[in-house]
Amino acid sequence: MSISLSHLTKRYGSNVVVDDVSVEIPEGSLTAVLGPSGSGKSTLLKLISGLETLDQGRVVIEGDDVTNVDPRHRDIGFCFQHYAPFRHMTVSRNIAFGLRVRKQPRDVIAAKVAELLALVKLENKANAYPAQLSGGERQRMALARALAIEPRVLLLDEPFGALDALVRTELRQWVKELHQQIKVTTVLVTHDQGEAMEVADQLLIMHQGRIEQDGHPTDIYERPATEFVQGFLGPTTIFKGSAVRPHALELEGPGAGAIEGAVTSIVELGFEVQVTVLLSDGSMPWVQLSRNEYAALGVGVGSRISIRERD
Amino acid sequence: MSHDVRKWLVRVVVVGYLGALVGLPVGFLFDKALASGLHAFWLEVTKPDALAALRLSAEVAVVAVPVNTVVGIAAAVLLARRKFFGSRALTTLFDVPVAVSPIIIGVALVLAYSRIGWFGAWLTTHGVKILFSPVGIAMATMAVSLPYVLRSVLPVLEEVGRDQEQAARTLGAGGLRIFFQVTLPAIRWGVLYGVTLTIARTLGEFGAVLIVSGNISGRTQTLPIYIFDSWDQNYDFLGAFAGALVLATISIVALVILSTLRSRERKLHVDLA
Repeated sequence: MSISLSHLTKRYGSNVVVDDVSVEIPEGSLTAVLGPSGSGKSTLLKLISGLETLDQGRVVIEGDDVTNVDPRHRDIGFCFQHYAPFRHMTVSRNIAFGLRVRKQPRDVIAAKVAELLALVKLENKANAYPAQLSGGERQRMALARALAIEPRVLLLDEPFGALDALVRTELRQWVKELHQQIKVTTVLVTHDQGEAMEVADQLLIMHQGRIEQDGHPTDIYERPATEFVQGFLGPTTIFKGSAVRPHALELEGPGAGAIEGAVTSIVELGFEVQVTVLLSDGSMPWVQLSRNEYAALGVGVGSRISIRERD
Repeated sequence: MSHDVRKWLVRVVVVGYLGALVGLPVGFLFDKALASGLHAFWLEVTKPDALAALRLSAEVAVVAVPVNTVVGIAAAVLLARRKFFGSRALTTLFDVPVAVSPIIIGVALVLAYSRIGWFGAWLTTHGVKILFSPVGIAMATMAVSLPYVLRSVLPVLEEVGRDQEQAARTLGAGGLRIFFQVTLPAIRWGVLYGVTLTIARTLGEFGAVLIVSGNISGRTQTLPIYIFDSWDQNYDFLGAFAGALVLATISIVALVILSTLRSRERKLHVDLA
């Protein structure tokens, strides 16, 4: 295991932000810590890096107990939510910072910086200042700066949070490819479940300072351990008294032998159509259909319809 | 009233106000000081008493400005980066010397260090002379110019935040390197601004220095006191004007240098949104 956390606890006054968290993060994985704001996920990242001191617990990185090691000696690459560029240094100087601290020879630094500039596709911005970069470019510079010291783990705090939608999608894909290329154990924090599902090969779901569930994204999505996880990972609706995914339900014409009801509303969202049905017991599940399924069904508001779970 | 008229009215009021308070008086000062010609001006500023005053002011500034700059930056870093019990009280304490009249600072120093004061008796028996000496003048000056660096740097430090420092730390940098390579460059404009204000106040302080200096011409007269003496005691108006012109020029030059540097810097680095 690359990162092993046992019984991590962090309090601010009487407020327990991280509550007895124990988890193993596998070597070379790309793990997303997913949770709503205030769930303690960013604090967990800071505890791993040592930028926050913990009240209890142990942090072990690649077999070394670093619990009492200063962050400067933990060999960790940390990318801040707002990138924390050194504003008065050029892109090259930013990237070289950790190497200069390590007193590397000039030519080694120059070669390494050139290599990283190519890796993050900022060759033509080497002498620009952070203020002259776009958000996505600043993010890539921050990644290069963190990678320069060849960290044992890479920690990313809300890496795409401050970017607009288009750049965000592009950068997610790029980070995923970058990770496949360099294989450094990476932990990223996000509140966006779509982002986590797309990028990560491991998920940690956090809620109120605790880990609700961890594992492979698809497994968690299909077999959520708690109601919170199920609700957080995607939409749910109540059918026959229990929460189900709205795309796990299907509609048929009346008299198909299933439970019957009346359509109360139809929301068309491009490819997706959401149909809400009022059942005789008073419950109102909604069903997620594709545009084609909806067209084939041929219903309108008020139509009688039967509803059941897909096989 | 149309938008245009209002805009012009605002400009006229602002310019008129500044002109009445700053422009005209300083303009007159230049005019009067140079009225008898450059040669007469030169003779005035090179009189022994004037030169002695200029030198003492410079010496005091050379001590007071660096000390207050270092103390101000250290206090700002401490207050911005570590919240501790009593930090609010400490900030307020820094403001006391400029919140009260400088005369009070002078009187308080005299009380503390004269022979009847708390330390004065002990110091006198050990042969240390603080009042009526350059040491006392430097202390009074440092007191009244104490908070300027702190007050200019603290908001900048808080706005910049800790992220850059923490990033440097995870990259392996130690405390000194972080301070000189990350923190100091980030707050440099705040520091320069604070230093400029400190210089202006240091050279200009009159009340507190007058009380502790004893006003001995040629020995414990700083430039402002020399100007006051020429004007009030010796009726040497040209001497007063000449001294005032020198003092005003130094301050104006400092401000001009600061704003030029700053606008050049702005052109180079657009601030991060």
